[in-house]
Amino acid sequence: MSRATERPRSAAEWLQFGSAGVIVLVMFYPAIWMVYSAFKSNREIFRTPFALPSEWKWGNLIEAWNVGGLGTLYLNSVFVTVMAVSMCVLFATGAAFAFTRLEFPGRTLMYRVLLVGLLLPPPSVAIALFTQLRDMHLLNTHWALILPGAAWQLAFTTFLMRSYFLSIRPDMEEAARLDGANTWEIFWHVSVPMVWPAMLTMIVLNTIAVWNELLFALLFVTDDAQRTLPVGLVRFSGYHSTNYSLVFAALAITTVPILILYFILQRHVIAGLTATAMD
Amino acid sequence: MQALKFPLAVSAVAILMCTTALAQEVRFTHSITGGASRVALDAIIADFEAANPGITINQIVFDDDQYSNQGLITQLKSNEVPDIFFEWAGYPVQRDVEAGYAYDLTEAMATDGWKESFSDAVWTDGAGTMVDGKPYLVPLSLDLTNTIWYNKKIFAEYNLTPPATWDEFVALNKTLAEAGETPIVEGNNEFWPLGNWAGHIAAMVVPPDAYIAAFKQEAPFNTPEFEKALNLLVGLHEVGAFNKDMQALGADPAMATFFQEGAVMHPIGSWLVSETANLAEEGFEYGQFNTPPIDPAHPLANSVIGTITGLVVHKDAQQPAEAIKFLKFLTSEASQVKWAESGQMSPVQGVSEKAKLDEQTQAMLALMSNASGIVPPPDNKYPVPVAEAFYQAAAYAASGEKSAKDALVWLDETLAAMGKQ
Amino acid sequence: MLFAAPAMLLFATFVLLPLGASVYYAFTYWDGFSAPRWAGFANFARALTDPTFLMSFVHVVLYILATLVFEVSFGLFMAVLLNSDRRGFSLMRGMFFAPVVLSMSAAGVLWKFVLDYRTGLLNSTLRSVGLGDWAQPWLAQPETALLFICIVSGWKYAGFYMVIFFAALRRIPRNLYEAAKLDGANGTQQFFAITLPMLKQNVIVCILLAVTGGFAGFDLFFTMTNGQPFGATEVPATWIIKQAFDQNQIGYGVALTVVLTVVVSVISIAYLKISERGHVTRY
Repeated sequence: MSRATERPRSAAEWLQFGSAGVIVLVMFYPAIWMVYSAFKSNREIFRTPFALPSEWKWGNLIEAWNVGGLGTLYLNSVFVTVMAVSMCVLFATGAAFAFTRLEFPGRTLMYRVLLVGLLLPPPSVAIALFTQLRDMHLLNTHWALILPGAAWQLAFTTFLMRSYFLSIRPDMEEAARLDGANTWEIFWHVSVPMVWPAMLTMIVLNTIAVWNELLFALLFVTDDAQRTLPVGLVRFSGYHSTNYSLVFAALAITTVPILILYFILQRHVIAGLTATAMD
Repeated sequence: MQALKFPLAVSAVAILMCTTALAQEVRFTHSITGGASRVALDAIIADFEAANPGITINQIVFDDDQYSNQGLITQLKSNEVPDIFFEWAGYPVQRDVEAGYAYDLTEAMATDGWKESFSDAVWTDGAGTMVDGKPYLVPLSLDLTNTIWYNKKIFAEYNLTPPATWDEFVALNKTLAEAGETPIVEGNNEFWPLGNWAGHIAAMVVPPDAYIAAFKQEAPFNTPEFEKALNLLVGLHEVGAFNKDMQALGADPAMATFFQEGAVMHPIGSWLVSETANLAEEGFEYGQFNTPPIDPAHPLANSVIGTITGLVVHKDAQQPAEAIKFLKFLTSEASQVKWAESGQMSPVQGVSEKAKLDEQTQAMLALMSNASGIVPPPDNKYPVPVAEAFYQAAAYAASGEKSAKDALVWLDETLAAMGKQ
Repeated sequence: MLFAAPAMLLFATFVLLPLGASVYYAFTYWDGFSAPRWAGFANFARALTDPTFLMSFVHVVLYILATLVFEVSFGLFMAVLLNSDRRGFSLMRGMFFAPVVLSMSAAGVLWKFVLDYRTGLLNSTLRSVGLGDWAQPWLAQPETALLFICIVSGWKYAGFYMVIFFAALRRIPRNLYEAAKLDGANGTQQFFAITLPMLKQNVIVCILLAVTGGFAGFDLFFTMTNGQPFGATEVPATWIIKQAFDQNQIGYGVALTVVLTVVVSVISIAYLKISERGHVTRY
């Protein structure tokens, strides 16, 4: 990173590095353990639970993939997540733009109402939402997860996007307006590129939330063919609960890709959060 | 990101379109997720589709627990109702009829001698297939809700044989526990596995009138007879019969534990048989015995706990004629022989004699036909919240969490707070 | 206004509308199968005497207190510890955050394997080193089940709070620390004199997130114990779902959700009012 890293470390810095390293390794170990256990036989997991596999059994992954029907679950999860996250981030950016850059009656009231969503626990409407989705004929479709999924992330996302807009002076937008751009053009060509770092952060955070969502997924979609990964995983592990290698393989398959995605985007998460800064 | 989004959306929409809308599609929802019975069912459906080219059967499948919790209700009220749905006889069928979801099968049953093709027992008053004398449930299987499965090898190791009395049963548990085995594994996380069994035990101890009155909330549970019944579970707990993590374990892990020799006995229903191929190791040998008689003078001393499961045609079915056609095919002798050979007890006359039944199914059939009565599982006969509360009281007693007396006091208080169901 | 419309519409349809419907259903007897019947206040009267429901609030409060220690405080501690430009720290921050990315159900399944009585990693390890007597059915004992859920929750979420605090730490001007150093303040003194006051707003927001998030807690409880043993880990969300769906008492379940919503809103608003007194927040 910076030049400073080449400077020799002091004793205090070594202590900081060492203690941080130990804690981080202890915390991270279960994830590593899960991944390499996926390659062991059942017997090996019991006999030498901490050792690396003596023989890397890639067959476990294939078996778990087939037995658990993970392909369908993956596709469902990807579809639901992509749709819900793009909807939520786009709408929230629009709303944050309106709340900070435009004047219209009811602006403050709308924002206050939206903030209610920050305080509500999702279980509080789960049942009523269930009957509502049923009446809308959306139960057992992916829309039963996409629309509520996006709606329930809106409050948080708008809240953070708004604070990001507030941290940037509206000079650019005003300049564009003087140049004769309409509001629509200003939003797309000036504001969105400007707040893109924060949108990226919200994409990552919302992806984590929607991808992992369990309660709505459990209640609103009961058809095997429409299920998402978290529900599929819970069902799978109950049924194969003593076949450790199979369950670990399924766990690894479902979590490793999202971990990799996170490590690639990690910089943006922290940068975006620094900018919006949650305060 | 943008480039990725649209192809995926399009392909997912395409997948959604493929699975819907075919002219003569019969939607059939059930909870037979796997095992030998699912293979048999798939084969029967394939035969039916081959014989009736215009009709396809679309199966919508759920796990057992999920089916009864949300799966069925989700679908009954959805825009595309299933034409045929799986149901348990008794209270659930009655509830479906009252709510207007069940199709009156009187006429269909009267034609071609369909009704007579089933054994007479499924049309008795207590069988729960009819409401107000009209048939609504097409019986598919006789279910033994609870029996005690045991590991033959471990029994032989300790020179044990299936017990003839309850005292022998307790002694046998004691022997096993003292030898360091886990005598009974129960996965009671959801309360019904032990609850069903406790319902049977109570039915064998408590006078029938008092038993029914209590579950109908017309009389208290806290009586000396119910206390005696729960004390039997306390007695098992005291000799160390149950696995220590009974309340943390799910029903499926418990069954897997039994097949992996992690415990000697496993009280659960007849569906264990069709899971054997999935879960048991090669050479695993097991048998089963009924809960031994407790009070020989009791009218239900030699009873079994069981119910009928079957299929209901939805009142608003899109294709009622095709649905009935399929059900007739499914309950025909030829189909039922396949069904029975997958480890199911068929309700259709003559099938059990014709089919090559495996040893376990034969033993269960013998058990059922020799029983002095069939006790329905409480959650199929009485309001579900009452049954669930009783199940929890039983779990309190069996885990030593409360004395039998305290568990019953808790039960009566809980029911009082709940109000009449 | 047009720009806010899609968000408001979506929010109104899937958050506010069901919230309103909940209030109506809460006053009915309804099994989900037949039509709802008017019940007056019967469901609420029952809720206030439902011992499991009342205890579920005790459990959730204990859980929230634990999250303040295992997640918020630990996250803050780690943010300070990992706040360095030296090589390796960026990777360590990434690793520390990683469990947040895992789904709660994956985490629950993973830890259930670790804690299983018969075959779990923890008990296997104890037995293999001759401490077999210490092996416990961790998730089947009232005393240990809730504790382990809190620990797993801490493992899962400490990284989230670390990142928030870390982001805020980066915005504290360096010269404040340099001035303090010149005045002879050591690390601990600097933390309490500069870091903590500068992070006050973040601490307030994080505590709010922990409280509202805690009341909404469902996934981990559902996958690890589902309320067992005997309601010892029952929290409002798991109990509500059980009443409404397992027992077909939707009217009663909805009444419980209304009680939960009121409790959470009152606590959150009171909390914000109190914290506002010291400082002006953005709410």
